[in-house]
Amino acid sequence: MNHLDQLEAEAIYIFREVAGQFRRPVLLFSGGKDSTVLIHLAMKAFYPGKPPFPVMHIDTGHNFEEALTFRDKLVAQTGLELIVRKVADTIKAKNLTDATGKFPSRNALQSYTLLDAIDEFSFDACFGGGRRDEEKARAKERIFSIRAADGSWKPYNQRPELWNIYNGRIGSDDRAQAIAHTQNVRVFPISNWSELDVWRYIQREGIALPALYFAHTRRCIRYEGRLIAVSDYLNIDEQDELVTKKVRYRTVGDMTCTAAVESEAITIAEVIDEISASAISERGETRIDDRCSDAAMEDRKLKGYF
Amino acid sequence: MDILRLITAGNVDDGKSTLIGRLLYDTKNIKDDVLESVAKPGSGATAINLAHITDGLRAEREQGITIDVAYKYFTTPNRKYIITDAPGHFQYTKNLVTGASGVDAIIILIDAVNGITPQTRRHSQVAAFLAIKNVVVAINKMDAQSYSEAVFTAIKNDYLTIADQLGLKNITFIPISALMGDNILEESPNMRWYAGTPLMAWLEQCMPNECNFSETRFSVQCTIPQLHEGNGLGYAGKLLSGALTVGQTLSIYPTGATATVAKILHGYNAVAAANAGDNVVVYLNNEGNIGRGALLCAGEKLNISNHLDVTICWLNDQQKLQPGKYYLLRINTTEQKCRIGNISGKLNLDTLTYEPNEEPVSVNDFIRATLILDAPIAFDPFENLPENGRGILIDVETNYTSAAFTISLRSVAPL
Repeated sequence: MNHLDQLEAEAIYIFREVAGQFRRPVLLFSGGKDSTVLIHLAMKAFYPGKPPFPVMHIDTGHNFEEALTFRDKLVAQTGLELIVRKVADTIKAKNLTDATGKFPSRNALQSYTLLDAIDEFSFDACFGGGRRDEEKARAKERIFSIRAADGSWKPYNQRPELWNIYNGRIGSDDRAQAIAHTQNVRVFPISNWSELDVWRYIQREGIALPALYFAHTRRCIRYEGRLIAVSDYLNIDEQDELVTKKVRYRTVGDMTCTAAVESEAITIAEVIDEISASAISERGETRIDDRCSDAAMEDRKLKGYF
Repeated sequence: MDILRLITAGNVDDGKSTLIGRLLYDTKNIKDDVLESVAKPGSGATAINLAHITDGLRAEREQGITIDVAYKYFTTPNRKYIITDAPGHFQYTKNLVTGASGVDAIIILIDAVNGITPQTRRHSQVAAFLAIKNVVVAINKMDAQSYSEAVFTAIKNDYLTIADQLGLKNITFIPISALMGDNILEESPNMRWYAGTPLMAWLEQCMPNECNFSETRFSVQCTIPQLHEGNGLGYAGKLLSGALTVGQTLSIYPTGATATVAKILHGYNAVAAANAGDNVVVYLNNEGNIGRGALLCAGEKLNISNHLDVTICWLNDQQKLQPGKYYLLRINTTEQKCRIGNISGKLNLDTLTYEPNEEPVSVNDFIRATLILDAPIAFDPFENLPENGRGILIDVETNYTSAAFTISLRSVAPL
């Protein structure tokens, strides 16, 4: 088996372990490339059946139009059930303070919406597209990451995880009773994939992606060397330098904290060449939220983030 | 391109994280922004805090130690490396065991200044317990010992005694300086006396684990509901060993029934045969009542017993082993309640032998014991087929993975 076959086999094994061990799994889907690959893997893992779980979008409201269109199209094509829970509703219901400032990212607020949805549907396992090579706190996480009832990650007391034996037991033996309001498990089937592995797999399998992953013309502001798309959610002021550039996205998240990169790449092969040559990491180039502190991701994860 | 999984083990401050940082840096697998975040004033590789690249948690960076396993990735034109940086502290040995399970190769680091320490012995024991096939002992900080051949040879000879006691074979010794980059990518000009290959060249030629066991073992993970009338249930799982072919007759455990293979799906394709390691969906004629945890087998050597002779590594730092208590055993997808029966010995780290010991079994202890299962299971000794001869014990009250075990050949032929 070559490395993509091995990574695929590992991911499919993990999907089936979750189907075998949990009652109410859900796949977290953002419309980004990693969770799109997850859906592709899930379809393959359960063929000729359907994946025995719905997909859920935790909607920050700060969406790229292309990602939403793509989401709805993919859900229609696959016949998967889509659940959408909106951060805006959580803010209202819980009387939370909405994100403010120049880049009002609702990235951290997503955790509240996610935890409410886990409670609402009694989800016991959530698949996420997190990869260990993305970020240093993610590099420490198990494939089956046990979260406390409040969603928090305990990085200093993770369960031993040996070989490919994933222990997803939560609650007590009386599973039906125990599931609600107890621990939940985050599962990361593509933990061991790099950004390039994801793209080479997309190329090999012919997986469709939202158009914004390829070069297109977009109006942006230039902020500390980064290009942030002009949108209704961004607070533009007079000092901002407005530019129109040929860009593409390396990651897709909350519009206000995801930067575009200048690019001419319009095919998957060109994207792969571009990433291979890039001197900057994926999150380093595109995520504003991780730059606030050395431990931004760790802090979000401690509070229930993906 | 294939994948090689490897782990670095060594005592605190032996330079594990520095070595990984060095491998990533020298193979140009660190991006500029990541480099910038770990830079110290100055320039060049030595001015970078190479260890910071792997210490992902705030407390680790603050204390300058590795607490839990971190996974890092780098590629060469030949292969993708999944590299596990594991803690060196004694109290975190259980995390080292997590990181070392399933690797193809282990780099055991020894500080040339301090020589072999109790942790070196412990890490080597972990390598022996998990039967890691490729072992390299990297004697680090040679720069601090004037690149002395005599120092290298003395440590090598000391280590060979340990290896002999543990039954570790085919060990490679390389003198390195992770900090200065000696014998990492290039042959070191400072150690002309060393005739072997640099570390990277050794990694490039390592053979990944492969399955040599030829009998068929298929572990069922879950069922795939039928999509159309007339197709039975599909059994999704992994072919642990051997081959699976349409028309083949299989024995099913634990039911003891037999069935023939009607159809095999690999991804979206119907195939005539599957190979070891494949994740497939199997359809059977005359299937019985089977589901997750079933083992489909062909061949003569399968063992069925409710008594297993095992070596156990205790991983629970909250609770000691409680003889008589029920634990949940898991081998692949098979689960069974079990108790720990007779404990024949506990590893004495000084002598590296298993000796009778009345003390309770606590975290990081290795013991030899018998597992008494509520009902018989189908298994293979670890030596024959690792994937069907190893498992974990789960504490049913806390659900914590409390132990790892490997099944001894003595389960089959009592000595």
